[in-house]
Amino acid sequence: MSEGSVQIKELVKTYTDDRGRPTFTAVKNISLNIEDGEFVVLVGPSGCGKSTTLRMVAGLEKITSGTISIGDRVVNELEPKDRGIAMVFQNYALYPHMSIFNNMAFGLQLAKKKREFISDTVGRTSKALGLDQMLDRKPHALSGGQRQRVALGRAIVRSPKVFLFDEPLSNLDAKMRVQMRSEISKLHVQLGSTMIYVTHDQVEAMTMGDRICVMRDGLIMQVADPLTLYRQPENLFVAGFIGSPPMNLLKGKVQKRDGGLFFVESAEKNGLTVPLRGRIESVAGKYVDKDIVFGIRPEHLSDEAGKEGTHAPVTSTVEIAEPMGSESLVYLKAGTGNLIARIHGEHLFHLGEQVTIQLNLDKVNLFDTATENVIR
Amino acid sequence: MTAHQKVLARKVGAHAFLICFLILILVPFVMVISASLRQGNFAPSRLLPDKVSLDHWKFVLGIPYQEVVNPATGETRTVKPSTPPLLWFWNSIKVSVTASAGIIFLSGTAAYAFARLRFKFRSTTLSALLILQMFPMVLSLVAFYVILDFAGQYVKWLGLNTQPGLIMIYLGGISNYIWMIKGYFETIPASMEESARIDGASQFQTFIRILLPMSLPIFAVVFILSFISYMSEYPVASVVLQSSDNWTLAVGANSFLYEQEKLWGRFSALAVLSGVPITVVFLLCQRFVIGGLTSGGVKE
Repeated sequence: MSEGSVQIKELVKTYTDDRGRPTFTAVKNISLNIEDGEFVVLVGPSGCGKSTTLRMVAGLEKITSGTISIGDRVVNELEPKDRGIAMVFQNYALYPHMSIFNNMAFGLQLAKKKREFISDTVGRTSKALGLDQMLDRKPHALSGGQRQRVALGRAIVRSPKVFLFDEPLSNLDAKMRVQMRSEISKLHVQLGSTMIYVTHDQVEAMTMGDRICVMRDGLIMQVADPLTLYRQPENLFVAGFIGSPPMNLLKGKVQKRDGGLFFVESAEKNGLTVPLRGRIESVAGKYVDKDIVFGIRPEHLSDEAGKEGTHAPVTSTVEIAEPMGSESLVYLKAGTGNLIARIHGEHLFHLGEQVTIQLNLDKVNLFDTATENVIR
Repeated sequence: MTAHQKVLARKVGAHAFLICFLILILVPFVMVISASLRQGNFAPSRLLPDKVSLDHWKFVLGIPYQEVVNPATGETRTVKPSTPPLLWFWNSIKVSVTASAGIIFLSGTAAYAFARLRFKFRSTTLSALLILQMFPMVLSLVAFYVILDFAGQYVKWLGLNTQPGLIMIYLGGISNYIWMIKGYFETIPASMEESARIDGASQFQTFIRILLPMSLPIFAVVFILSFISYMSEYPVASVVLQSSDNWTLAVGANSFLYEQEKLWGRFSALAVLSGVPITVVFLLCQRFVIGGLTSGGVKE
């Protein structure tokens, strides 16, 4: 295997107090293989163990059990500097008393590199990042975006095999974030190094990652490329976490009526009823009279039946409409269920308007309520 | 009363209170200065001396001066002061500077360990430090005496009546400073040190090159505080230092207050003199007590 690959095997992290008593398990036995040159995003809500995992790869956090290998070498007991990694922190973590040049050169100076080599490397990197005019300044004289670029430069000059990013963009304003996002993606193409990127922002994850690893409560929920994750979520958590606005999820039962299968929403009365036809009919067959969750993405609800796929009409009332130009987000009430639809075109929806919405049944995902896993 | 008058009345009241307070603080200070400039060695009775005389200052600074022996005949003699006052002054500076530097080194490294490392009994030790420093140093005078007496039998320069011995005892008073510095360290985000670790810095290099430069303000404060307290420390110094060549300023000044004759003039001159290095140290350190040293490194 090549030198930038990262293997995480049965990794566990349990925090302990001063006396060594276990207090909290942040990472519960996860395994993940990252190829050389891959851009992998760890994403999940706060406290899911994604940062802890990254810090263990970096060597900032002791490993309770399991192994981490970088380029076929087990690095469990190696110091961070010997792992061939570089890290970019959320809060930049620049050295405030040093000039930008020294901030970037610090690692090379400690490694006792030649003076010409250092000034050459730092010079080249700072130029590429547009920082060459401010090498004499201190961090406090820089803007947020520039500071994060310095942190990036400090990582680059170490020419690491693996880059680690710990929510590097979450302190920047929205515009800067989008710009830095593409800069990091460009950097990945240029350098071809392995990158592991931690974020809680699913948009960042979707736009940047070759593969995304969704985590919750110290466990990996699903690892897949962005589109697979979006189209074929393995479980309810991934279905709800990825995508904005989120997937519509309705609780209910599969029922057999008049020879056909129907999804009936659990409700006191007026529960939403949707016929289950096409691809999902065979899937639902195993769950007759059992609890399931019916999931459909907002863009698979439309105000007219498409040419392709099996559609089912649902009568609903418009509660809120958010026109955004080329499309509208429409919040609907169907039966007792709330649905969000992303409808293309410039049609204006009005409050209280009755609309017949077409559900694209080919795109529906059904989940087992008990296990929360997708039904195949 | 109108609102305007009310504000005025409040302002007058506040100023009156503050002025009284200032007088309370400043009068003793002025009295000591005036006593050092008064003729004769009497307890100060009036705020300003009738006749200014530099005799006490000359005595303290080791400059010969004329002293009236018999006021009736006007007979005078030349007094050639011995060197001790200036020597005591020098001793005090030596002891205070060395002890303060030592305290910075010890409490700085200890505070780093308490703030950043995780080890068994960390919190227990911290509380123990806090409780132990609540007992005044004077309580352990007897122990200090015995310890130094014992140490002196093996290591001459560390025994009783030596300045290194006194400094050793002074170095014991670091628990306050450990707490102070630890508190400051904890305000510095750990990610800067982690970043240095990834850059390849050892724990010691991180401490010296990253944490210390950012912690100058707290070290300046600790230096000022410990310098002031050791410059004026009396009980321990008076027990440890026995021969007058070794005395510090506080012990020396006290020696002018005999049971039979209290030489207030000389005492006051010496007291004012001891304020000089404190002022100098304060002005020097003040430059480092500035905010914003850590700004820009991380996003707050």
